[in-house]
Amino acid sequence: MITVKNLHHSYSRDEKYAVKDVSFEIEKGEIFGFLGPSGAGKSTTQGVLSGLLQLQKGEVTVAGYNVKHIKNKMFNEIGMSFEISNVYNKMTAKENLNFYRKLFDVETREPEDLLEMVGLGDKGNIKAGDFSKGMKHRLTFARSMINNPSIWFLDEPTTGLDPAIAATIKDIIWKEKKKEVTTFLTTHNMHIADELCDRVGFIVDGELILIDSPKNLKLQYGEKFVDIEFVKDGEPIKESLSTIDDKDKARIKNIIDNYEIQTMHTKEATLEEIFIKVTGRGLV
Amino acid sequence: MKLWYSFTKELKLASKSFYFYIEIVMAIIILAVVLFAIPENFSNSRTEYLYLDMPEAAKTVFINTLLDEDTDGQAESVDVKVKKEILSATFYESDDKKIYIVDDEDTLIKLTEAKKQLGAVIEMNETGDIHYKYYLQGYETQRLQNLYMVIHNNDMLTLETAINAQDVRPLSDDYEVFNDREHTIPAMLTFNGSLMGMFIIAAFIFLDKEQGIIKAYAVTASAVWQYLMSKTLVLTITSIITTLIITIPVMGLRPNYPLMLLFLITTGFFASTVGLLVSGYFRSMTKAFNVLYLLIIFTMLPAIAYFIPSWEPVWIKFIPSYHIIHGFKEVIVKNGDTAYVLLASLGFLMAGALMFIWSNHRHKKNLTA
Repeated sequence: MITVKNLHHSYSRDEKYAVKDVSFEIEKGEIFGFLGPSGAGKSTTQGVLSGLLQLQKGEVTVAGYNVKHIKNKMFNEIGMSFEISNVYNKMTAKENLNFYRKLFDVETREPEDLLEMVGLGDKGNIKAGDFSKGMKHRLTFARSMINNPSIWFLDEPTTGLDPAIAATIKDIIWKEKKKEVTTFLTTHNMHIADELCDRVGFIVDGELILIDSPKNLKLQYGEKFVDIEFVKDGEPIKESLSTIDDKDKARIKNIIDNYEIQTMHTKEATLEEIFIKVTGRGLV
Repeated sequence: MKLWYSFTKELKLASKSFYFYIEIVMAIIILAVVLFAIPENFSNSRTEYLYLDMPEAAKTVFINTLLDEDTDGQAESVDVKVKKEILSATFYESDDKKIYIVDDEDTLIKLTEAKKQLGAVIEMNETGDIHYKYYLQGYETQRLQNLYMVIHNNDMLTLETAINAQDVRPLSDDYEVFNDREHTIPAMLTFNGSLMGMFIIAAFIFLDKEQGIIKAYAVTASAVWQYLMSKTLVLTITSIITTLIITIPVMGLRPNYPLMLLFLITTGFFASTVGLLVSGYFRSMTKAFNVLYLLIIFTMLPAIAYFIPSWEPVWIKFIPSYHIIHGFKEVIVKNGDTAYVLLASLGFLMAGALMFIWSNHRHKKNLTA
């Protein structure tokens, strides 16, 4: 559904690339996470893919359309949820959705249904300007589904939402996946990426470092750890030890043999830990 | 249909926006100024300070002439305060003049200097010849000074007879002369009706950029030109409303309203496309301010030429607002030059269309800026 070959983009139109030589493919129905710290090139890549930024160098096709020569009908296939909410503040939630649905040439969803989905069912007649930041974010998210997109761009979809609402948003993304909607998710929240994505790509300083599924990445780069709490000389002690490292393995054995174990849990490496290990960079 | 949806949405948003009401309020303020502050005809009344250095009999004849023209037929003794000094004078007032007669030349000089008005000493010698000595302010034009010198080469009676003997005939009796109030209308319509759109549309676009709304629009199946055109149409509607607010109370039904609407739409369209173009090259109103400020100054120059007809250099005719002002003048004057208005409308429409294409191209390339 999305093919990117040797994508380069420079805001100053010189050799200072915000994105350089990025290539990847996303299959139909896949949730692809594009992960990286702020300024890594996530939004630039998404901007080119969604037609907001002009394709300067490389080849990009989205839903079969060549992004070099964008046609308006391509946008019938695309939905986009922005990180920063951008709705008409002087219009109600329903008016916002009703207006946007008229700008597409395909069958659209009912605004009431979408508002219900994102937990704004009873707020349809309230002006968006009176919404909280989180509510506006949900309205922007709901708007991105108005045209039943087959390709869905989500930029930090759960940022600023409370855990319950974030869970609802994640459920919606899962449901859309079941309908074979292809999702391009940009985030620096590794937990969301871990939970939702079939594959993730790590981008740092405009370069795509690697692409794989979270499971494979954990197998390849992650170490399993054991968190042990035990009592030594009457004092409670907590240690986190690798199940791969020989020295740590011997230490685990020694603790089990000689001390009173209070708790013992195995723990997988997180995607964030893997990101740091692979790229040498944090996510902030 | 998408254009229609965008237009109705923009109209609804505009009706809730600050800028829309600024335009309406400005139109009402302009109307109030035109109706209540600008008189139908500016007063030509001038003030003169005179010292009559002549025999008593001649002075009496002169003063009797002033009294004949005086509005109440009576002289009035007045004290005029100049700095800390009180100066005495005799005051006469006719329909077009206020005359202060003083008793000596020193007083005359003090008053002329303090009041920044014309002062004159009228002398009559023993043979009955009259001489004039003028005290001017120094900034009078050479033309006026020449006129004072020429006018006294003949006696007033001869001059008046010569003036009356001249036959002045208009080439056509089918013309209309604006009063001073009506004379201001073309310039007012140009700036509040047509050119205001240039700034307001730029403000609307920058507001949308700031709120990211333009990005949301850009990822719909609607074309960018429809977004830009919907804004232009809204500005056209507000221009029509504000123009009618000013024109109807002042001019009544005399103007050619269908022609005025045509001219307003085409000139408003042109001005809006200039605003669209400017907004395509800058990220915010603050960054575009320098260019907008230059445009304000540039478009105001023809208004100076309009109100001071003696200053009309050829280059000023290349500034679009020159033709907008004169187009509106032809629209509101009885039997105005319809061909000029139609030709100017066509020119503005074509120029506007080219600018619109350019703006559309620019905005498409620059949606996230």
